[in-house]
Amino acid sequence: MAKEYEFTQIIKDHEGIIFKITTIYTNNQEDQKDLYQEIVYQLWKSFDNFRGDSKISTWMYRVGLNTAITKLKKEKRKINQIGIDQVIMKQIDQYDTEFEERLKILYLHINSLNELEKGLILLLLEGKKYEEIASITGLSPSNVGTRISRIKQKLKTQIVKK
Amino acid sequence: MELEEMQAVWSQMSDQIEKQKKITDKMIMMMTQEQYRKKLNKIAYPEIIGAVICYSVAIIILFNLEKLDNWYTLLSGLISVVTLLILPILSLKWISKMRNINISGNSYKETLIEYTKGKKRFKKTMKLGYYLGFVLMFMIIPVSSKLINGKDFFAETKSIWPMVISIPLAIVFFFIFTRWVYKSYITSMNSAEVLIKELEEQD
Repeated sequence: MAKEYEFTQIIKDHEGIIFKITTIYTNNQEDQKDLYQEIVYQLWKSFDNFRGDSKISTWMYRVGLNTAITKLKKEKRKINQIGIDQVIMKQIDQYDTEFEERLKILYLHINSLNELEKGLILLLLEGKKYEEIASITGLSPSNVGTRISRIKQKLKTQIVKK
Repeated sequence: MELEEMQAVWSQMSDQIEKQKKITDKMIMMMTQEQYRKKLNKIAYPEIIGAVICYSVAIIILFNLEKLDNWYTLLSGLISVVTLLILPILSLKWISKMRNINISGNSYKETLIEYTKGKKRFKKTMKLGYYLGFVLMFMIIPVSSKLINGKDFFAETKSIWPMVISIPLAIVFFFIFTRWVYKSYITSMNSAEVLIKELEEQD
């Protein structure tokens, strides 16, 4: 019971992490719900092995991101603007129209990135330092820096195109 | 949208999410139960159903081998059995490999490399599967004719016209089909190659 209690507390304290991973890697509510459940299941399965060597959030990001790329990308799903809208709206129903619009643009930018870049941008937007991003992704901190510069460049090019 | 603006929007969204904690203890513990994962396993259903059909047909042919009483139907029968046994193994092997990726131990980079390499292998398998499926389509005709109707497809077909029409049509179809397979194969292979190369670049 103590284990279950500890686990549920961790999930409740960090549910935002799981939610945000699922919004990036899915384009409709059904997939999002499935992925959410799968991440919680994978976290539970690996909970015994989590010894606290790393931060809880680091462990959660790692398991969450790994689950997202292996479980829901059997087939590439098309970017679906309506889907993204629904995903965001369902969870948070207090946004004003202008913010919704900005959020939609944000997700469209994220969706234009490849798998590796999506993981990096998520961690960057979460305010992680290069060292922590490196420990989650397995890249070196300098490589993280290089890749993030490339992402910034890519985002700028998109703006120019538009 | 510049990165700085993205960060601002993201942070505003994060604040809203924090305010709206929705998950309960009961919901969390339900998600840890195997039976609640059924939906995700649906990805493997087509492969599993396909495998059951392939093996059932292969068993039927094997149990009726003595009915294939001349060399060409027997040869068609054996080729069909081998194809029906190989095809499902290839795709099920991929699914099991993907399921065995160490999600908690691997880094994101390692998982992406393993997954993308696996996907590449799967695409190769699919390509082989399309071609084998095409071969099977022809091989199974004399076998099923013999097993279902007891007729020798080649010896007892009265008119050659069905074959004269169907064979060129099949060749045209095969040509269009292989071009389509090749095109979709190349596109997905290229993006997989780029990602693997990028990931394996020296740090």
